[in-house]
Amino acid sequence: MNNSFPRLIDGMIEALRQNVLPATEGEFARGQVFGVIFLLKNLRLRAGWSTAFLGEQLAALDELRLSLEQIDGLSADAPRPAKLAEVTEQARDAGDAQVCALIDWHAAQGTKIPAVERAVDAYLHRQLRHELSTSAKPMFAEISLGKERST
Amino acid sequence: MSGGLPDLTARFDAHVTKLLGRPVTSRGWKQYPSGFSWSTYGVSIEAPGFDGVTELVLRLGPPNGLFAPYSAAPQFEALKAVEGTAVPAPRAFAWSDDESILGAPFFVAEKSPGVTVIPWDADDRSPRSDGAIGQQFADILGELHALDWTRTGLARFGEGLTRQNAAARAVDEWERGYRRWATRPHPMMHKVLAWLRAHAPVAPRLSIVHGDYRLGNFLEQDGRITAILDWELVRLGDPHEDLGWSCLPQYRGGTELMSQLISRDELYARHEAKTGLPVQPESMHFYTIFSLLKLAAVHMAGAHAFEHKGFFDMRMPAMATQIAPVLRQLEKALEAAS
Repeated sequence: MNNSFPRLIDGMIEALRQNVLPATEGEFARGQVFGVIFLLKNLRLRAGWSTAFLGEQLAALDELRLSLEQIDGLSADAPRPAKLAEVTEQARDAGDAQVCALIDWHAAQGTKIPAVERAVDAYLHRQLRHELSTSAKPMFAEISLGKERST
Repeated sequence: MSGGLPDLTARFDAHVTKLLGRPVTSRGWKQYPSGFSWSTYGVSIEAPGFDGVTELVLRLGPPNGLFAPYSAAPQFEALKAVEGTAVPAPRAFAWSDDESILGAPFFVAEKSPGVTVIPWDADDRSPRSDGAIGQQFADILGELHALDWTRTGLARFGEGLTRQNAAARAVDEWERGYRRWATRPHPMMHKVLAWLRAHAPVAPRLSIVHGDYRLGNFLEQDGRITAILDWELVRLGDPHEDLGWSCLPQYRGGTELMSQLISRDELYARHEAKTGLPVQPESMHFYTIFSLLKLAAVHMAGAHAFEHKGFFDMRMPAMATQIAPVLRQLEKALEAAS
């Protein structure tokens, strides 16, 4: 996911308040919307992206870190992800920031290092495979049209 | 815009009164639901209107919109540049970036006839099956790319632009977008940016590039395209840029047709016939990868608008869920390139 969990919940609550409630008729239906808002607020206090979701992303970062350690002659000034101490969005983002810096650093080198290329590609592939396997089927026709569609 | 539609109506009437030099009272306001970025309203004024036109469209670039902050100048100049040419588009009459007038940058254009089609609606495929619209779609793009823009208002956006640096400038622009909008670091974007910088082609010509040329961004009526819309990403650059964008898999709807309209071979052939420029495979490969990067950045803008601009439209985080699939397409495209 690309939105942080608490900010996504905040935005969903505001979408219900600003876009759904004003157009919802009937006490029962409006009450149901407030019920959803209330429970979203509870989720915000108690939930976050799961350890399983973030854990795989951090495991991929750690695999990359170990792969880079094994590359002979990799310059000490080459950026690389640090050893991870916690399973959080912040830790994942800090690790990915280092991978971005590594890619930029590598692109600026006159001579490419195939082992770095392979390690980074393996990391990117693992991350993307995980992101895709944890994504629901898109509903853009329904979102755009406001009604059920056949696909 | 803080006072809602009544406030907007009053401000609009006051401004059009000033422009036309007579009292104007607008009526029939309608906000169109389509679009992720600019707000679009239909409005009527009594005759005489702008060049006799009384059915108008007002487009406003809200401060919390997808690509805000906005300027109306490029869209207005693009519409003026194609006026009276073989590129059908609404005639534009007025614009301003002065937010004191309507609360946001805006432009006023004529309301063109026809309807838009939602590209990702699998239940709505039939009207474009005879191929005529696809041929027109290709021909209009060729006409656009063949236009001499150097004596139009768009020329001011081309300072320092050359055939040699057009690709690099396009990459720079969307790298800035990525860095503004990304809500988390995306290593694949860095890999793609490095690839693009190492493979930038020379443009065969500097053309007007629509920037979002695809199914869904034109009006059609009775089997004909009546107007090309949504010029907010217009730029000057390599014509392959529009071809790459309109051929993205996202707009094919599961068909073999580019933008669900026309085969790739026929699109290229008709474009070449209009422009005199053969489509270059290396340039198409570059601009396909560039278009995917651009699409990923657009999705990131959705996440950013939702989290940081108070744009609480659920289409925004829904768009953001598509970043990973686009990055996967980029991964495959780079594998094919190596």
